[in-house]
Amino acid sequence: MKSSIRWPRGRSGRPDTFPAASRAGGSQRAIGLSRILYTVASLFLVASVSLADEAIRDPVEGLVMTTLDNGLRVVLLEDHRTPVVAFQIWVDAGSSDESFYTGIAHLFEHMMFKGSENIDEEVHAQLINERGGRINAYTSRDVTVYHEDVTSESLPLVIDLEAERFANLDISEETLESEREVVLEERRLRTEDTPDGRGFEALAALVWQAHPYRWPVIGWRSDVEQVTVAACQVFFDTYYAANNLTVVIVGDFESEPTLARIRRTFGTLRAAEAIPRNPTSVVEQRGERRAEVHYDVQIPLLYAGWHTPPTGHADGEALDIASQVLSGGRSSRLYRSLVYEKEQALYAHGGYMEHTDAGMFYAIAGARPGVPVAEVESSFMAEIDEIARNGVSEEEVVRAKRQMEVALVNRLATNHALASRIGREIVAFGRVRPLSERIEAIRAVTVEDVQRVVRRYLRRESRSVVRVISPPPDAATRAVAGGSDR
Amino acid sequence: MSKVLGRFTGRILLALSLVAFVAGCALSSPRPAWDEPPPAPAEGPIVSTDDLHRARLANGLEVIVLEDRRLPRISLGFTLRRGAGSVDPELAGLAAVATEVMQRGAGEWDALALAKVVEDAGASLSASAGWDTTGVSLSGLAKDRGLLLEILEEVATRPRFDDGEFQKALAEQQASIVAAQDDPSTLIRWNVLRVLYGGHRYGLPRSGTAESLARIDVEAARAYWIDRFVPSNTLFWAVGDFSAEEVIGEVERRFGSLPDGPVVPNTPPPPLRTPEKRRIVVVDKPDLVQARIILAHEGISRTEPTRIPVDIMNDVLGGSGFSSRLMMSVRADEGLTYGIGSGFSLRGQPGPFSISTFTRVAEVRRVIDILHDELEGIRSDEPVTEEELAKFISYNVGRFGLSLETSEAVLSSLVDLIVHGLPDDSLDTYRGRVRAVTLDDVRDAAQVRLAPERAAIVLLGPAEELVPQVEDLAPVEVWQP
Repeated sequence: MKSSIRWPRGRSGRPDTFPAASRAGGSQRAIGLSRILYTVASLFLVASVSLADEAIRDPVEGLVMTTLDNGLRVVLLEDHRTPVVAFQIWVDAGSSDESFYTGIAHLFEHMMFKGSENIDEEVHAQLINERGGRINAYTSRDVTVYHEDVTSESLPLVIDLEAERFANLDISEETLESEREVVLEERRLRTEDTPDGRGFEALAALVWQAHPYRWPVIGWRSDVEQVTVAACQVFFDTYYAANNLTVVIVGDFESEPTLARIRRTFGTLRAAEAIPRNPTSVVEQRGERRAEVHYDVQIPLLYAGWHTPPTGHADGEALDIASQVLSGGRSSRLYRSLVYEKEQALYAHGGYMEHTDAGMFYAIAGARPGVPVAEVESSFMAEIDEIARNGVSEEEVVRAKRQMEVALVNRLATNHALASRIGREIVAFGRVRPLSERIEAIRAVTVEDVQRVVRRYLRRESRSVVRVISPPPDAATRAVAGGSDR
Repeated sequence: MSKVLGRFTGRILLALSLVAFVAGCALSSPRPAWDEPPPAPAEGPIVSTDDLHRARLANGLEVIVLEDRRLPRISLGFTLRRGAGSVDPELAGLAAVATEVMQRGAGEWDALALAKVVEDAGASLSASAGWDTTGVSLSGLAKDRGLLLEILEEVATRPRFDDGEFQKALAEQQASIVAAQDDPSTLIRWNVLRVLYGGHRYGLPRSGTAESLARIDVEAARAYWIDRFVPSNTLFWAVGDFSAEEVIGEVERRFGSLPDGPVVPNTPPPPLRTPEKRRIVVVDKPDLVQARIILAHEGISRTEPTRIPVDIMNDVLGGSGFSSRLMMSVRADEGLTYGIGSGFSLRGQPGPFSISTFTRVAEVRRVIDILHDELEGIRSDEPVTEEELAKFISYNVGRFGLSLETSEAVLSSLVDLIVHGLPDDSLDTYRGRVRAVTLDDVRDAAQVRLAPERAAIVLLGPAEELVPQVEDLAPVEVWQP
């Protein structure tokens, strides 16, 4: 992981995962929760499980996992129900792997569409599109994912095109300049011109203070403006090595010829000696942190965040259930109290966000017009305190569990969702947790567990609070206060 | 009462073996797949006879159910053939408020009790209105089918419409209209409606305005539902893990005795041409660092016979992401935006055609000029080419196959056809109709359906910096948000 020190080791250290086959020794990454382990050509066999009282077969029982000689991991799951295929490549690198220019992981993701030795700029996406396929990519704090959904006959095209850009990417000054402008527009769209974008950016900076999660995935404006071709090349060489990639394919295809094609096309990719990771871990927080963001808003916004464990931690399910009790539907506490009864907020919810190194329990609320955000905050925190003091009811926990189990069923419906689950879990844990294990962990949570995790993690002294409010009438202009975003 | 839409399995197996054969050939060849001619897509009739069942009850209620045993879940609901379009503009927002209140109590259940009975089952309940339809739907586990049907029956036939709940829902909607001022994309869309459709119902957002909401009371909300929920105006649908015959029987028992009645009229047609001449409106939002741009004029209806050629023309122009001319010229070549798209809003009556994008404030004029060049180009000196037509036929055929991955998606497409009175076999014939489109069809679509010279140009951002960029094009109106 990019070294996590605060949290005890999660589930990935279990003996049912396999020793690393792909990572070259001497990785600078501290041993951590996730990215350690991999398996060579193994086949999981899992019996059908009872999910929310319905017997259901977990599709991952048919998973075929292979590691090529260069360390590339390939996970195949045949599912012939409909003639479509989901293809994803998970790069085990996200914005938290950036070491000089923030935002380079995401800008680089854009550059992957800008052409390679044998394929012109944007043509990859066009070729997929022109067969009706869907193609896109995203970057998060932990990973970068390239994904395509196509009708079955186009899978060979997808494999060849993906291998081509991973092998022969062409990064030129000209394409970087135009894509830099595109990303700056994306930054204006998602962050600079929206109060919620501003609010969340401020919250992450406050909560994660030292850890690389503190900067936005899209990067700070100044950095995006200055990223160089040379820096892109270094990022590519460092993190887009074969042994830092996982290919996941789910759907209507035959494994044997598909694997042969992947060996032929991806098998020549280079492996890296070591994948460097940022050394900074989450620093212990001693005392509440607060910030204000001044922005011309009709409704002020409240953001809060608390440190929680990283993905895969044993307290994860209890935190998920706490999220459900607080925010899961019209019977949930935050909706009932802030939106429905007190009519202080237009919306109010909180939830457990998992990342590889550290989690965050976040709270978001939008005040009703004319309601001071301080009132919303106080009602919000009162609901958290109430759980810490008096716990939750058996009825609430049973309901939350049922909602979570049904959500797991719903996520089995498309190849894309299955591929995403597989990719996420392979990168995080080195294996795909079977549904039976997920269900067992959810069912094991008690009323006391929910109160315990709220008491342990959602404490006042470890929270950060951001309010997005209109500037007071006498406030100095934004530009004076430290640089303009224009 | 069952209807045959076609047979699936056999042909798909044949297609699959062809795919495997093609894949096998490709393997022995060093040539990359992009150098090979594209293999024919696997395709066949959309739904199996055995799975799709249709019926019409004696009171006029139409029923369509699709069995899918792959996962133990179901979705079901009612779709009514009237929506926000059937409301007087004076009462804009009524459909949205009424459907919200319906989720706040039915029969013996008050708001909290209803929420709990739904959420205890891990189910979800939704009621909402589009322009042409109003719907109530539930989804959950297959074993809870009886409960889901009971909730549907209560919500549809015994909605409480308590005044207290109505007042809360109304206040919430008023607040969300205020909050929309903070969302540039919503704000500009609302202003575009106003520019194009003035006093017509399409001129106001579905959620209404502060003024129109103030005219609505709980009786109006109740009447909204009661006037439209009559069997001959209503479709019951279900998809998932069940026996279709059982479900149809249950529907008959629960809803077979609902009395039929007259149906409220739909919206009158909007103007055939709007605007009559170029109109430029700048909505002043001084704080924004990125300006929003929408070019718009009248479009086509959902039932427009030339819809497929119009779609293909629009895909070439701006409807197909990175394959479209606009995405290439504005984003890929010039780096002026992160996203751009064009499209026709398909409704019972013609909704708008629009091109929508955003750019840094200083570059707005450059973008508008490119939009005009592309619109003029596709209509005159750079019409759609043979090559583009072939690409976009393939695009639409492939996208269609992909869009039907789940039975929920298949059923929702069938419901859409029924609601709009389109032929039952439209899904089965779709790919053939796409392949039959000619270059003339697409060029005609561009000629007839695009009117760059009189399109409205609506901008959102700092008026001080925007007006000087466009004032030579036409007189500029500056609006406050």
